[in-house]
Amino acid sequence: MRNRNFYLVYPLIVFILLVLLFPFFVMVSTALKPLEEVYATPPHWIPRTIRWANFADIWGKYPMGAYFKNSFIVALGATLVNIAFCIPAAYAVARLRFRLKSFIMYLILVVQMFSPIIVVISLFKIVARLGLLNTLLSLILTNSVFTLTFSIWLLGGYFRNVPKEIEEAALIDGCTRFQAITRVLLPVAMPGVVTTIIYTFITAWNEFMFALTFIQSMDKRPLTLGLYNFIGRWTVQWQYLMAAALLALLPVVILFFFIERELVHGLAGGAVKG
Amino acid sequence: MRKGKFWKTESALAFFFLLPACAFLLLFMFYPIAYVILMSFFRVNKLGDLVNFSGLANFRFMFDRPEFWQIIVRSCVWTASAVAVKTGIGLVIALLLNVDFRGRKIARGLVIIPWASSVPISAMIWQWTYNNDFGLLNHTLRTLRIFGEPPIWLAEPRSAFLANLWVDIWCGIPFMALVFLAGLQAIPQELYEAAEVDGATPFAKFRFVTLPLLSNVLTVATLLSILWTFNDFNVIYVLTGGGPGTSTDILITYIYKYAFQYLRFGPAAAMAVITFAILLTVSILYARSYFKGGTVY
Repeated sequence: MRNRNFYLVYPLIVFILLVLLFPFFVMVSTALKPLEEVYATPPHWIPRTIRWANFADIWGKYPMGAYFKNSFIVALGATLVNIAFCIPAAYAVARLRFRLKSFIMYLILVVQMFSPIIVVISLFKIVARLGLLNTLLSLILTNSVFTLTFSIWLLGGYFRNVPKEIEEAALIDGCTRFQAITRVLLPVAMPGVVTTIIYTFITAWNEFMFALTFIQSMDKRPLTLGLYNFIGRWTVQWQYLMAAALLALLPVVILFFFIERELVHGLAGGAVKG
Repeated sequence: MRKGKFWKTESALAFFFLLPACAFLLLFMFYPIAYVILMSFFRVNKLGDLVNFSGLANFRFMFDRPEFWQIIVRSCVWTASAVAVKTGIGLVIALLLNVDFRGRKIARGLVIIPWASSVPISAMIWQWTYNNDFGLLNHTLRTLRIFGEPPIWLAEPRSAFLANLWVDIWCGIPFMALVFLAGLQAIPQELYEAAEVDGATPFAKFRFVTLPLLSNVLTVATLLSILWTFNDFNVIYVLTGGGPGTSTDILITYIYKYAFQYLRFGPAAAMAVITFAILLTVSILYARSYFKGGTVY
């Protein structure tokens, strides 16, 4: 029985992985090719000569340093703003009783699904009126707003799983409510806080549409927009674009592995909690 | 008396804790939504300023264009077909990963990568992969003789639509696979053993144990996938920009085009309101089935 499964499962899994990972193979292969090989017909799957210098060249040929810095500022800024708003709100929904609570929870879940495209038209006007067009602050604010509801949802779930008694014991021992949160709850719920931080960071790092709309000047572009503008030029140096893409993806793909399980459970809820 | 006071202070504290987040959401989420709804009933100039009230003129302007209806139909075809394929492939992968085999953890990790990757950057990689002369996709298809002469993917409306659709599906498969896998692992093993005792065939076990117990997960994941697929701006914008012409635009990219390329903010706002209504309906369905899995708060 098990053996029969084996012979069926392995070829299928290998085939599926080949299909799913094919573009990443293309990316790595192209990133290592010299220019002549990038435009060779027929193309080579594996570069005949490996040119590591592509990874060095992109820093001089394109403002990669600025792109990385901007993406980092936006992602970090959005994360800080998000977590500052998120921790108290998540505490309230997890621990406190108040009127309209179930309605607010419902609202949070629904709002989380709204497409930024719906509001980008009017957000553009608002950002312009605030004098924030072409600033990284506009991206920090919009990214933190659009990650806030899911963050509250995710972190609230973590807080709820921490036994209430630990905090109550701290309160009895003379802690204030604030101390009970910062000294008792937060350290225990640290995995949840880290998950929320990583989620916001990744989402802001990968964001494209707001950057496309609000940012005009070259030196303010985050990575996604900067890389997109590689293509805008009349000859695309694909080996450079692929090398840059590899560097841009690496940090977030690694971070993602720390949170994928929590994301699945947060998004599907009670349906997958066995 | 004491209980009433406690309730009062707890309420006050909750209000105080929720206020910053709510104010932030109000300013940058709900106010913009209200403003878009307002805009859709006004004539709006090229700078995005409201000029004068025009009733349903913006909506009528869109409804009178055959292109708009084509795009509505295309958005539906796009969403329905992509979600169906993602669900199907996701389920197959989940069933495979649920079998105990060596290297299962590695396989699971590798399956995740398309989801972990940044969507706009993935779309750029795919654009190069689809390149007819130098891209490796058509080279591979030619070498394996799957296609005698594969299409120039992004050049013609039909193949460009399929190319976009595939990238969207490719991005969405890992999430479906992982959710279904989590759902499968939550099914108690005893049920399968009981079915085996009763002499159930593997297919019967799947049909009468797996599927019914997975139905809740299926509903939630499918609704979520509908929302994401319908909202997929990045793939289409980066790969084809909706082109050639508007032949691969869906509602979401068409709104953006109308607003920021044609600078026709009024009709764009009208379409945004229609989209908002659609998304709101599906979101509410999603929230309902989410809570059905067990009250969370």
